[in-house]
Amino acid sequence: MKPKVAVFDFTGCEGCELNKLNFENELLDIIAHIDFVEWREAMDDKADEYDIAFIEGSISTPECVDRIHDIRNRSKILIALGACAVCGGMNAMKNQKPLEVAREEVYGKDKDLFPTLPALPLSAYVKVDFEIRGCPMTQQEFLRVVTALLMGKNPIIPDYAVCVECKLKENECVYGNGMICMGPITRAGCDAQCPSFGQYCIGCRGLVSHPNKEAMIEILTNHGLSVDEADKKMSLFNTENREGGLK
Amino acid sequence: MKGMFLSKESVVPFIEHLASQQKVFAPNKKVHGSITFEEVNDANDVVLNYARALLSVKKYFLPQRETLLKYKLDDNSFEKQEIEQVNAIFLGVHNYDLQAVLKLDYNFKNNNPEKNYLKRREGAVFVGISYEPDNFHFSQSVGIDPHNTNGFDLFLHKTEEGFVLEVLTKSGEKLLDGFGEISEFQGEYPRNENFNASLYAPQSKLKEVFANSYDNPIWKEMAEKCVGCGTCNLTCPTCFCFNVEDNVGITLKDGSRDRHLDGCMLRGFTEVAGGEIFRDELAGRMRHRIYRKFKYISDITGEPWCVGCGRCTIFCPAGISIVDIVNRLVSDYDKQQVLNEGQMTSVLD
Repeated sequence: MKPKVAVFDFTGCEGCELNKLNFENELLDIIAHIDFVEWREAMDDKADEYDIAFIEGSISTPECVDRIHDIRNRSKILIALGACAVCGGMNAMKNQKPLEVAREEVYGKDKDLFPTLPALPLSAYVKVDFEIRGCPMTQQEFLRVVTALLMGKNPIIPDYAVCVECKLKENECVYGNGMICMGPITRAGCDAQCPSFGQYCIGCRGLVSHPNKEAMIEILTNHGLSVDEADKKMSLFNTENREGGLK
Repeated sequence: MKGMFLSKESVVPFIEHLASQQKVFAPNKKVHGSITFEEVNDANDVVLNYARALLSVKKYFLPQRETLLKYKLDDNSFEKQEIEQVNAIFLGVHNYDLQAVLKLDYNFKNNNPEKNYLKRREGAVFVGISYEPDNFHFSQSVGIDPHNTNGFDLFLHKTEEGFVLEVLTKSGEKLLDGFGEISEFQGEYPRNENFNASLYAPQSKLKEVFANSYDNPIWKEMAEKCVGCGTCNLTCPTCFCFNVEDNVGITLKDGSRDRHLDGCMLRGFTEVAGGEIFRDELAGRMRHRIYRKFKYISDITGEPWCVGCGRCTIFCPAGISIVDIVNRLVSDYDKQQVLNEGQMTSVLD
């Protein structure tokens, strides 16, 4: 029997989800092996249980908390999809100011209608079995993870820096062009897409698993950033609450 | 010495002459922005005056990524990838990079021959070129001066007016057949041997130094600066470690076994079945990398396994210098020796 797969979205731009609908060449191969049973963006059906649930977005409201626990209870494997789900993503920037201030700024006089929580990755609330990183996730990695699961294997997710992929591709280091790049401490797996097109890495795949943050701050300050700016660069996709979290 | 003279004006015709005989790979700045070896399509794109290429010519014999075999899951069959000789002229190679290839030859020929590398390596012709050492080259300290022609077929020694072309092998001589724009050269070419960076000790002494440096505090100190990005490994011309992965297609019918370069500075490099990582600390990984260059292989061969190209230092985002590390080990060793002698004397007193 084909595994039952669902896709859910929480706080995020839904770009990762959309990215999956763009599998023009592979979608038929994918649905030959799995049954999508629930996916708001693509279909009306709903189901009670899932073999694999792909979750996009971060957790940022009390309602999100209930929903993610409910989905977790009904899913055999839960996969965080994209930067928001894995690291909290961009929307975790709101955690840097008091919640009430953020709420007021966004909703003004209606703020009381919208209860809010710090934006946190899924792992702060539920057990996450696998992560597909990136903003947005790359299609290739999604395919690799799905293939591995179908074969009953653990997917191989790179845990080395973007620098590795840049060097393998012989990209000129963008630091040499006066840019500030997060590549030395950011997880690879994107095939160093941004530096390959002359842009710097903003760190959307999150930090490698054992980052030497102090050393990275030294690199950034040696390139003219203040410690505060360096810290902001590093936390763009990495909420400080990530480690420990609210588990 | 006796040789040929190639004027500046004749360089482009010379490259075109080479390219008319065989595929030529040479330094180029247009493709990636950095200096990289690329196939020559237009002789004018060749950059002969350069400090160092991002990756050495090693990449042609040990590619960054390659497919080893392809398999089918439905009938359990597999096919090995056909490996072809690179069969090309490598033009404008700095001698430290060729020395590195000769070291890889040793690594890949002995014990368990690496067929893919050895097959690709056959038939390669090397045209070397002298260079001006910058602040990061230290090849002379590891026994390679800028005019060392060991392993080359032809060598271009740079002069004010052009190049003194030294013919070193029969295959090199053959490349010049039918090329008229060279003249006889008699005399000496200017030698440029001013290295700004150097190691404090030759390998004979480094052997002793490294035998006593395992617990040097420098490993921890350097690990505090290091982000563990692996740039040093991946740009090193004598590093050859790789990882092998199976990649199955989404149809679940076929797949490939691929390998890509890996590096001992990367945390996952020593991960074994069950998840154990036996060099979990950056300090231990840093020590291992440097020991691979000056001790582990060197104790067997008697030579440093570093060619002094300076890549690991100039490309390091954290500015960690291999020369500084080795020199610090040497001075710490020397200090320790003086202390030991002092203790000996006081015991004798």
